[in-house]
Amino acid sequence: MEETGKKRLAIVIIAFVGVVYFFVCAVPLPKELVLEPRWSTALETPVGPTVAATPAGSDLASSKDLISFTLGSSFGYFSPEGKVAFSAPMPFGLAISDAGYVAYDQVPASLSLRSPQGGETAKVVEAGYPFYSGKRLFVMRPGQNSAAELGSDGRVLWQRDFSSLITAFASSEDLALFGLMDGSLVGIGKDGSELLSFSPGGSRVAGIYGCAVSPDGQLVAAISGLDKQRIVVLERRTSAYRVTYHRWLDSDFRRPVAMGFTADGRYLAYERPDGFGIYSCEGRSEARVSSRALKRLGLSIPDRNMLVALEGGGEDKSLLCASPKGKRIFSASFGAADGFLAQRGDALFLGMAQSSGAARIVRLDLREE
Amino acid sequence: MKVRLGARRTLVFAPYIFAASILSAMGWPLDAPVPAATFGTLNSGHFLTAVALASDGGLVHSADEGELVFVYDQKSASPSLPSTIGSYVVVEHPRGMAGVYAELARGSASSYLEKVKPGALLGTAGASGMAAGPGLLFGLFDRKAERWVNPFLLLPPLGDTTPPVIRSALLANSGSSYALGEVKSLPQGVYTVAADLSDALASSWSAGNAAPYYVRLMIDGAKVAEFTSDVAAVKDGMLRLSSQSPKTTLEYARPDGKIILASRLFARGRSIIEILVRDYAGNERRSSWTVSVE
Repeated sequence: MEETGKKRLAIVIIAFVGVVYFFVCAVPLPKELVLEPRWSTALETPVGPTVAATPAGSDLASSKDLISFTLGSSFGYFSPEGKVAFSAPMPFGLAISDAGYVAYDQVPASLSLRSPQGGETAKVVEAGYPFYSGKRLFVMRPGQNSAAELGSDGRVLWQRDFSSLITAFASSEDLALFGLMDGSLVGIGKDGSELLSFSPGGSRVAGIYGCAVSPDGQLVAAISGLDKQRIVVLERRTSAYRVTYHRWLDSDFRRPVAMGFTADGRYLAYERPDGFGIYSCEGRSEARVSSRALKRLGLSIPDRNMLVALEGGGEDKSLLCASPKGKRIFSASFGAADGFLAQRGDALFLGMAQSSGAARIVRLDLREE
Repeated sequence: MKVRLGARRTLVFAPYIFAASILSAMGWPLDAPVPAATFGTLNSGHFLTAVALASDGGLVHSADEGELVFVYDQKSASPSLPSTIGSYVVVEHPRGMAGVYAELARGSASSYLEKVKPGALLGTAGASGMAAGPGLLFGLFDRKAERWVNPFLLLPPLGDTTPPVIRSALLANSGSSYALGEVKSLPQGVYTVAADLSDALASSWSAGNAAPYYVRLMIDGAKVAEFTSDVAAVKDGMLRLSSQSPKTTLEYARPDGKIILASRLFARGRSIIEILVRDYAGNERRSSWTVSVE
């Protein structure tokens, strides 16, 4: 009998501990992250002129919240709600951002700055090819060794010649960073003054293959040199930039390399032969995400602590979400000859263009379930 | 003729001829080179730091041995940073000389090469950037001296026998302008001597004048100014042409394109103004004018 009583007692205790463990130590399962399609809009094949405009009566005619796109053989703007402001055929050259666009010819006599609705906001007689970086507008001048910044009114804010070819560029609100063929990085302030001049060196062949500036301008990074190639990160300390991190890479890129800081400035994503690397600015550590050919790199969703990239080649593309520690969270494949990716908060806007010319834009919202 | 031209080259281009003798000889990057714009030519208000060679679809070869270190092809490059020189490749030639082969046809830039032999195929001549015509832009950057070098100094001479052109010259001060050859007398004062000069090219990419290689101004038998389009380098954020007296575009030419030679006080009496222009092959042209200063 005593044996039976002990067994019963043991069973009761185990059951009690189990019940207590269930209520006290239980951890809720993590919510699953899902991409929920919100809308899908087909883009009509543009047949009109390059200079396009939103119809005057349209509710988008005065919208300040349009998103720019270039997809296949067209460009234009759409609203987060899925209305296309306009879609026009791709000209010889195009500088475009959410702030406006400039379509230009091969040898432009002048540059017309246009709003997202297509209206001309300024005309510039400045030789060169324009390009946006964020909301800032620059002009690459003849020779590829000279650049200028233009104001929204088309006025030249500053201009500068550089010692050799400009091979890389990045900017923040206050800093324009130029990477040169001779291996030097030159940072120009908003007034045109030189804030940074640095040559990473150390490689057999000097050269800047990619560069990036954090949104606050406190960090700059570059991929430089050949044999060996390396990544260098500099941080602004009082008035000067100092190297805070560098590492030799096993890459041998002989072309422009994609790199960029995340919107919160916490991470730097850069292209690698086998995917992309993620440098943590706080931890000064690196992670790697394996990926096929990258199409678009550098978008981040700070609230989700997540990076988003578009990968793939040919007719096969994938939307890839990864954690800063290098973990592939998920990827979604789709068939498209050309892809486009934009992001606003938790909303991703994915463009897909087929070889036939058919194109559409899809909004996908990140949601926990 | 060849001996005479060689002697002139040795005198004027001595530093780079010396370098060329050390370097393995460079060859023309196109089979039938037709210069279309010279080093230093003003292109939309900017000095051309290369030479333009006209060609429609010609094969572009490496001028020397080297290593392909950078490829920018418009067909595959990100449009976030445009290229005004179109598709281009950079080849690291011996002695720190980086060769830039630009305006290549879209999609033609070689990306599979690393080590490059002399004459290796780099692409096809095109018009993928801001060039006014199809061809090749060929530039040489001296990494050690951090300056662009006139490629004509290191390339084999062309059989050019056409001398440069002196279209007109003038004396100008703040209020007046006197065309030499038309004006016989002018008031005493400080005048800027400027001239409409051009190298004579079989083909031209530029709406303006092709920059002559060497210009000399003599007044009353004394050398007042001379200028050579041999190198271009950046100082204080501005590109300057010439190793002798580096000039920015504003110091080099007037808005009408006339090359500014010197500013000088013309005192009472008779003055003889002589301009000598020479091209890369050593062909010369001289013009002189006599003015009376009252």
